[in-house]
Amino acid sequence: MNVVVTTYLVYLAISIGLTVWVAQTLFKNGRVFLVDAFHGNEPLADSVNHLLVVGFYLINLGYVSLALQMGNEISTTTQSIEALSWKVGLVLLVLGGMHFFNLLIFSRMRRRSVVRNAPPPVAPDHYTVTRGPQTCAS
Amino acid sequence: MRQLTVLYDPECGLCRRVREWLVEQPKYIELVFMAVKSEEALFRYPQLDHALTQKDVTVIGDDGGVYWGAKAWLMCLWALRQYREWSYRLSTPELLPTARRVVSMISQHRYRLEGLGKVFLGGS
Repeated sequence: MNVVVTTYLVYLAISIGLTVWVAQTLFKNGRVFLVDAFHGNEPLADSVNHLLVVGFYLINLGYVSLALQMGNEISTTTQSIEALSWKVGLVLLVLGGMHFFNLLIFSRMRRRSVVRNAPPPVAPDHYTVTRGPQTCAS
Repeated sequence: MRQLTVLYDPECGLCRRVREWLVEQPKYIELVFMAVKSEEALFRYPQLDHALTQKDVTVIGDDGGVYWGAKAWLMCLWALRQYREWSYRLSTPELLPTARRVVSMISQHRYRLEGLGKVFLGGS
């Protein structure tokens, strides 16, 4: 096995391993947010959680796959390590970006549900007697 | 709370335009519009100070709570999906006095401010 193929295999192993680790972290810890956002509706929270993680995997593995090709010739171990660090660094940045994007989605969902049930911002000046609508209002 | 009644001045162009804008917004809470001192308003709120409702916009909750002036504006924002968070921001002790001043200024000069409504809320 030459240096190029070894570099590719190491790149794939590291990138896929990192993607799985981040996705699992999201999957485990995002659930709490979603259960809260959906008012304890656990099946719905699990479903949305699963869908988000699938999207996360697709985008990240898609990027890992597209970024596989190493442009310049790799013939020595030093070149291999340099190329790897560059590629893995990019994968890490994409993973980080996606991770924060997911956090944003979680917090937005949660905030929206909190806001929906929030009480009025101010107390009334006073209370007045109310009557139903006029029966023969024109 | 499921419904808010908004008592507005139908003779003021700005109020009509704000009403049109409110009607179009997606809401958490239904808004019912009623002209100030209309027969319907006098009938439904027999003990309300209707002279005061003519001075500034008034909002009445289905629990009988009366919100006047700046509070009424905040309640309208609170009813809207996209602006509920703004109602909390503007109701903080730091911002509420300013909101009060601005609202009372708008109310006092509402007949002269029609052009402003045209610029910000569209319409003819």
